[in-house]
Amino acid sequence: MNRQERSTGFGFVAPLLVLMVVAFNAPIAYMLGLAFWDKGQGFTLEHYQGLLEAPVYLRVLGNTMRIALIATLANVLIGYPLAHWMRGLQNRARLVAIALVVLPFWVSILVRTYSWIVVLGNAGLVNRALQWSGLTEQPVQFLYNELGVTIGMANVLLPFLVLPLFAAMIRIDDRLLQAAASLGAPPRTIFWKVYFPLTLPALAAGTLLVFILCLGFYITPAILGGGRVPMISNLLDTLINQIPRWEQASAISTILLVVSLLIFAAYRRLDRTASL
Amino acid sequence: MSDIRLEGVSKRYGPVAAADDVDLAVAQGEFVTILGPSGSGKTTLLSLIAGLNRPTAGRIFIGGRDVTDAPAQERNIGLVFQSYALFPHMTVLENVLFPLGVRKIGGAVARSQALDALKLVRLEGLEDRRPSQLSGGQQQRVALARAIVFKPDILLLDEPLGALDRKLREELQVELKQLQRTLGVTTILVTHDQEEALSLSDRIMVLDKGRTQQVAAPAEAYLKPANRFVAEFLGIANFVGLEDGRTGLVRPERVRIGAIGTAAKTARVVEAIYLGQMVRYHLALENGAAGAPMVAAVPFVGRAFATGERVAVSWEAADIWPV
Amino acid sequence: MKRRTFVGAAASLPAFSILAAGGARAQSKEIRMIESGGLSGDSIQVGYIDPLKAKTGITVVRESPSSLGRLRALVESGQTSATMFELGSGVVLQAKKLGLIEPIDWAAVNPAAMFPEAKAEYGFGYQYFSTIMAWRAGAKEPKNFTEFFDIKAFPGKRCLPDYPHYCLPFAVQATGVPIDKLFPLDVDTAFKKLDEIKKEVAVWWKAGAQPPQLMKDNEVQYSICWSGRVVGDPAFGLNFAGGKADLSFFGIVKGSKPEDKAAAYKLMHEMSLPENQAKAAGVISYTGPSPDLDALLPKDKLWQFPTSKQNKAVQYFENAEWWAENGEAVNKKWEAFKLSL
Repeated sequence: MNRQERSTGFGFVAPLLVLMVVAFNAPIAYMLGLAFWDKGQGFTLEHYQGLLEAPVYLRVLGNTMRIALIATLANVLIGYPLAHWMRGLQNRARLVAIALVVLPFWVSILVRTYSWIVVLGNAGLVNRALQWSGLTEQPVQFLYNELGVTIGMANVLLPFLVLPLFAAMIRIDDRLLQAAASLGAPPRTIFWKVYFPLTLPALAAGTLLVFILCLGFYITPAILGGGRVPMISNLLDTLINQIPRWEQASAISTILLVVSLLIFAAYRRLDRTASL
Repeated sequence: MSDIRLEGVSKRYGPVAAADDVDLAVAQGEFVTILGPSGSGKTTLLSLIAGLNRPTAGRIFIGGRDVTDAPAQERNIGLVFQSYALFPHMTVLENVLFPLGVRKIGGAVARSQALDALKLVRLEGLEDRRPSQLSGGQQQRVALARAIVFKPDILLLDEPLGALDRKLREELQVELKQLQRTLGVTTILVTHDQEEALSLSDRIMVLDKGRTQQVAAPAEAYLKPANRFVAEFLGIANFVGLEDGRTGLVRPERVRIGAIGTAAKTARVVEAIYLGQMVRYHLALENGAAGAPMVAAVPFVGRAFATGERVAVSWEAADIWPV
Repeated sequence: MKRRTFVGAAASLPAFSILAAGGARAQSKEIRMIESGGLSGDSIQVGYIDPLKAKTGITVVRESPSSLGRLRALVESGQTSATMFELGSGVVLQAKKLGLIEPIDWAAVNPAAMFPEAKAEYGFGYQYFSTIMAWRAGAKEPKNFTEFFDIKAFPGKRCLPDYPHYCLPFAVQATGVPIDKLFPLDVDTAFKKLDEIKKEVAVWWKAGAQPPQLMKDNEVQYSICWSGRVVGDPAFGLNFAGGKADLSFFGIVKGSKPEDKAAAYKLMHEMSLPENQAKAAGVISYTGPSPDLDALLPKDKLWQFPTSKQNKAVQYFENAEWWAENGEAVNKKWEAFKLSL
């Protein structure tokens, strides 16, 4: 593309860019700015100071990170083998598997979240089966704790990990794996030295996406966590709609945004080193 | 002593036999080419030898050892694919180091071996490039270096030059032949390109529909094909009727052309094609089997016959091979 | 900051239009309100909006949900399309402090008799709702919050609100404090009490629909929940004793046009009439602010309503002023408590 074509293209995109900036970026900048500007006082850092003095909000942020990390890990542990298994399927079975993975996308998040209660609740299918089979006396507490939140988030976010991973995996030429085998590599070496590195960019991108989505999760932790798993978005809701301390909420949001951007920057850096 | 031996090897996919009762013995250091049209089962045969696939019947021996059920990892075979199959996430050097690392060879020893292999395929100075930064020919050389660096007992080449343009292909053919001779490694090449097969190999094996048609030295297979399929697949075949009712093969180089009157048979020139040192004439015979086509390839010396001109055609009885 | 100047300029426009409109008694034919949605919204439609339309031809368009965040965004962006905004009792004070709502012109509303707490300077208290104890039918029935918090004598999983102002006063009651001595709230005692039973609290709810569902599914046996969600369903037992009576208000959005406000006051007048409140109570078992309402309600259902004499006497009324002053500090403790679960 030469320079002229590029600038013509920009002409077409410009209205969209303006819309993005006005409708999307400006309100965010305004929200983030709230933490630094006080009515009539100008620039201030007091809301960040307030955060440091009341570390409970930072602890909620830390808790959110921890839960997001656990849920992301669970997602990877389930999603990677799943995507790999799908790669080995015949065409028709593969289509069915993809449909099953994507299906949750089309179901409302509330419905999905409540259906977990039907499945994993005290009187749910799993517990009834366990008690019927005599494996347990008392119902197992799957829900209303971190386990419930992790299961719920893993379920909701699985497609975000599996689809890019699967796309990367089916792009891997079988002959690469055959070449590695012919060069004397045992299956384990083929996986770790050839297959896994080739899926790593997609895995990293999917993991990052899932982690960042986890950070902002609201409904699932509130319902499946039984309110026992404090997450930053629930706290932000309180600070915006209940108390309200928009300045404090803005300061927390800023920290959340910065953390997300840092993670993203680290990923970009890794990605660039890997592709050189 | 034969280095590779196939005994009654078959590979069936349902009712289809990709390899059907194939026998083959390849001697130590020999260069054998498996030649056949696409779908003839030649790549299947190669993957059976490499251990990427298991035969449904028959045995495979390498160096006297029965490897029929041994996985690819245990066969110590260097394999080169048409698609190169280089590891895209590794540099050239890392690709070549890979089989050494698998064999627990590391450090300076591995490095110098790898650099030697790269030198052998004339790729010095490109160690740190990624495969995507190389041309097709360069990538195939890397694949070759990777396949020979660990001193395999056998080198298997699956249409290694198929993706390259003609000039590069011819260059690499010469290099490949020299390399094979230098290393003295037993080599099996799979190709559908009969010129490549004839110019590179000690012997060729012609395959059709999974069955062996002929195993012979290139000249023998060319001049004395075992059957009509081999005759037609290897170059251009003229078939002539023999007195005893059989059909005989005359290769175009063995057909002589002269001015009318120099021989009993006559023909009309349908097309004259200049090939540098040679001229190829497409002829239509006039007497005997009237109108039957014939191709003659003769050295170009000063004058050529023009299209539509009548010529005298002859061949020696010794140049006829009954098929 | 540019954005702020823009907001300021926009805010001055309605002020100008008020001057321009002068004393003209113009009245809009259509106004918008933002309410909390659900059954409550339907009750507003049936009880008040439909009668207003029949009498005056004024149309009221409803939108939901109504959060303080939305009100603040509405006012700060200079938007004046919505005139009435539904607010919780605490939120009225916050909205007033933030300058997001205007005082009510009670002379213009000219209401029928109302409970005094519903006739606030900045809000029309249109709907009483109670936060009470409830249990799964068949569970041992507690008579007060001391019993409700006694997990040995009344075994079973609890479901409590995930909001400090819905939760702490009950914990204080559990230590024996009578309902007229709850405020100023002894926060530390409340948290100590919650610490005692937190192992038995399976779920801290965020949405009012959670506790009845969880009791039906036998996930929990006891809840503190909104009365309207459980009354009249044989699956639940309930008790108003020690419950919290609270009011939902309608406020006038800052900067609304005078003609819109005139129409809004007409609607508020309709909201003060007991016969209309009786219609609304037919949709949802929350009641309007008229002291004369009991006579118009079915006798056999009086026990269900927050304002019926028998229930109003045993509940305490939300102390929004105290929460406005202490809410943020309490919330920090609340978050710390939640982290300790």
